[in-house]
Amino acid sequence: MKRLLRMTHPIHLVVGPTLWGLWFVAIYAGLSVACSVSPPAPEQGTLTGINVAVGLATLATTVLLLGLSWAGVTAARRAELRRDCYFAFTSAGIHLFSAGATLFIGYPVVFLPPCI
Amino acid sequence: MSDTKDATLPPGIRRLHEGMARVWANPSGLGALTVVNHTSVGLRFMVTGAVFFLIGGLLAMLIRTQLAFPGNAFMSHETYNQVFSMHGTVMMFLFAIPILEGVAIYMIPKMIGARDLVCPRLSAFGYFCYLFGGIILTSSLVLEMAPSSGWFMYTPLSSGEYSPGLGSDFWLLGITFVEISALSAGVELVVSILRTRTEGMALHKMPLFAWYILAMALMIVVGFPPLILGSVLLELERAAGMPFFDVAGGGDPVLWAHLFWLFGHPEVYIIFLPGAGIVSTLLPVFARRPIVGYGWVVAAIVIMGFISFGLWVHHMFTLGIPQLALAFFSAASMLVAIPTGIQIFVWLATLWLGRPVMSLPMLWIVGFLVIFVLGGLTGVMLALVPFNWQVHDTHFVVAHMHYVLVGGMLFPLLAGLYYWLPLVSGRMPSERLGKWSFWLIFLGFNVTFLVMHWTGLLGMRRRVFTYDSAMGWDIYNLISSVGGFMMSAGVALLILDITLHFRFGRKAPQNPWNAGTLEWAMPKPPTPYNFVSLPRLETRHPLWDDPELPRTIAAGKHGLNTIEHGRRETWGSDALTGKLREVVHLPTNSWWPFFAALALAVVCICLLVKLYPLAGVATLVAVVFLLRWSWENGAHPKAAPDATVAPGQPPLHSRTMNGPGVWTMSVSHLANGSLYLSLLFGWFYLWTVAPEWQMPETSPLSLPLLAGAGLALTLGTAWLAKLVRRLRGHSDSGLGGGMYLVAGLGALQSALLGLVIWRAELAPSETAHDATLLVALAYVLIHALLGALLCLLQGLRVGYGFVGAEAPLEPVVVLRLWYYNLIVYWSLFVAVWVMPTLLGGAS
Ligand code: HEM
Ligand SMILES: [Cu+2]
Repeated sequence: MKRLLRMTHPIHLVVGPTLWGLWFVAIYAGLSVACSVSPPAPEQGTLTGINVAVGLATLATTVLLLGLSWAGVTAARRAELRRDCYFAFTSAGIHLFSAGATLFIGYPVVFLPPCI
Repeated sequence: MSDTKDATLPPGIRRLHEGMARVWANPSGLGALTVVNHTSVGLRFMVTGAVFFLIGGLLAMLIRTQLAFPGNAFMSHETYNQVFSMHGTVMMFLFAIPILEGVAIYMIPKMIGARDLVCPRLSAFGYFCYLFGGIILTSSLVLEMAPSSGWFMYTPLSSGEYSPGLGSDFWLLGITFVEISALSAGVELVVSILRTRTEGMALHKMPLFAWYILAMALMIVVGFPPLILGSVLLELERAAGMPFFDVAGGGDPVLWAHLFWLFGHPEVYIIFLPGAGIVSTLLPVFARRPIVGYGWVVAAIVIMGFISFGLWVHHMFTLGIPQLALAFFSAASMLVAIPTGIQIFVWLATLWLGRPVMSLPMLWIVGFLVIFVLGGLTGVMLALVPFNWQVHDTHFVVAHMHYVLVGGMLFPLLAGLYYWLPLVSGRMPSERLGKWSFWLIFLGFNVTFLVMHWTGLLGMRRRVFTYDSAMGWDIYNLISSVGGFMMSAGVALLILDITLHFRFGRKAPQNPWNAGTLEWAMPKPPTPYNFVSLPRLETRHPLWDDPELPRTIAAGKHGLNTIEHGRRETWGSDALTGKLREVVHLPTNSWWPFFAALALAVVCICLLVKLYPLAGVATLVAVVFLLRWSWENGAHPKAAPDATVAPGQPPLHSRTMNGPGVWTMSVSHLANGSLYLSLLFGWFYLWTVAPEWQMPETSPLSLPLLAGAGLALTLGTAWLAKLVRRLRGHSDSGLGGGMYLVAGLGALQSALLGLVIWRAELAPSETAHDATLLVALAYVLIHALLGALLCLLQGLRVGYGFVGAEAPLEPVVVLRLWYYNLIVYWSLFVAVWVMPTLLGGAS
């Protein structure tokens, strides 16, 4: 189990996209449920509780992924085996991409009212 | 270098080859139905897929004939609907996926240095499910009862009201049957790639093709279950009136669209990934240098695999989704261009930095690059919501789709066909005929589909069976049809070329393209055991670094080079490092996969013609066959007649606690879990979205009974876990009795669940709520029964001495199932009892 937590383990190849996936499902499901339970009035524009919640979730996920990416880079620098270095670097790249993807997909909350 | 088989071998080695040939022999005659070897099964998949390609192509030609002229009366609109629905269905489900799986099944063991896939009987079973399912599905065309609601079968068009008759049923049952084969190949490929690579092939030294197939297989495992669930629900709606997709009963047709595209979008990448894998394998060979940026490619594969699951809604932009959600999915759709772009740059860089040689396979790769890039560009256009609204369901989409599918899958496939042909036949393809067929297909393709962009922009909708001359589409459609026939001529020439080459082709040298991967170290055509001895590998390009490898392998200089024990075996290695862990002994030829698939085919046909009691009997027969099949496993004398291993070798896998079987169970549960999550998604989706959904005031399910069943399950799991812990400590005292006890608890759980269902008095044909609840309860009930049954069998096997301290693997595998049941049961309890009770009659 402990082995899996090291940034050099290949499991990290999929940790970033998995977090991204959880975030994606959570915001999409959250949005749908929130919109069906208590849709905010359209006049309210983009400053609704839904946008704020989605925005915060997006920022938190992005920061987490950036952190993991950085951890991957440090682990790669410290790695002794070529294999460890290889997996840490590749995972760091994938984490970085996932962070970017989270931000890129999440940014429309700033411009769009949620439920119309 | 001469062919490995021609080398004059010393008598000892010759005896080794003969022994291998005997143990691995494929029977002929009727016995051919028992063959389980991956080389044969892979070839069968590919040949069958090719036949379906021809059928699909014939249908395409019918479509193009009909559309060639305005007001054409070549086909009635009913027939046209059947023809285009079957064209799409055959191409996607019976050609693209199975033929690519066939390539993977055939190539993967040869590339990773294994003698077979881990569950050979599973691949044979998958093949028969595919064959029978395909026959059932295509027979609907002959019977003129083919599905006619398009390959995505949108409800309510495909529901009972608008599609009476058997068309939709053929689709739903046939496809579900075929999907069993996709799933079994998916599971098997994942476990084989992770656990049976030859000694030393660490994960990051694996050929790129294996990475691509690993991603494809995992995507199949996660992506196909939503469609299976959707098909089951729709068939239940059609056959038993359970209103999952019917608004009046509290269902929602959009749920079908979600379930379909949850599968459908990833499907496109499932098709593209192996295609790209072929490109990444061939390109370095013809560029004569290793691929630039192996790590970048791996990253791109992983990203693509994940992101593509976040895009499904882009097929539903016109269905009425909130704007913000549209923005999410639009952005996600654009993002997927990045990993695609990375790969294209990697390929271009490899060509740039290498010393490329042009030959036939390379020609197809160039064709792929051109067409696929164009298709990718229109794809990004379609991801823009306003543009999508403009061209939705026009021939622009049809054109885009074919650029991506034909460019991304058919062209690489043909490149791979020409490239690997010498391996199959031992002969080289002809350059001349091959070039003709390439140019005919390439030009024909562009003539057909480039102009379809125009017709689409001019407003020609897809799936119309004819059009008026006044629309000004005449000339474009005619050109398009001519192009289609050009392409068919090319395909005909291709078939001719391949057929002729088996007779007239020049004999192929050992490594004809000077490739670096292991499959070229084999005899040609391949022997059923692939490699007489399994080499230790430390590099990504074994044949470039050691051109002597084919000879030393054939001379039995490497691992697992004995056969006196009479077992079929291959290495089991550590997923990460490729260190040896166990000797995997593989089952030999068997009738059970064929019989089990046959019984399932009977089930399928009985359901079609609505002979439900007979379908029930056939299901029981199928279960018995499957269990009988599982009996010949582990320490059963038929599975491992002689359990000794040579000194210094790792133990047999059935004598360990972590053999590949544990992995197979876990990967299967990935698929099963995906199905379960789709079901939960359906429950919550209908609950929150369906306009007429009704939730009763109080839950119809009895809390004491539900909790009692859960308790029995929890106790059983704990007991089983304890038995396994003891086995780990090398003690099997009380194992047999314990197994019967756990089986009893499983039976108790099943009985209590049965009572819950009976006492609830659900009305599944009246409300979607009751229907969904019933399906969910049936799901856990089936799992409870399975858990009990497997423990019962384990008890018996302990008695026969097939399971015990010396052969402890199977209880570990069964425990995985119980853990899965535990999670599913209690989470379902929360979803269908706790939440409704707390939130109550919401909506
Ligand atoms: C051999 C050359 C081919 C031709 C001339 C062709 C032609 C067509 C045409 C004209 C349609 C439009 C039907 C309509 O919307 O009215 C169509 C639909 C379709 N084609 Fe092809 N096709 C070819 C090959 C393929 C291949 C290789 C694949 C997949 C690997 C494929 C997959 C599909 C799918 C999924 C549809 C959608 C069917 C639907 O709208 O329900 N086609 N094809
Ligand atoms: Cu898509």
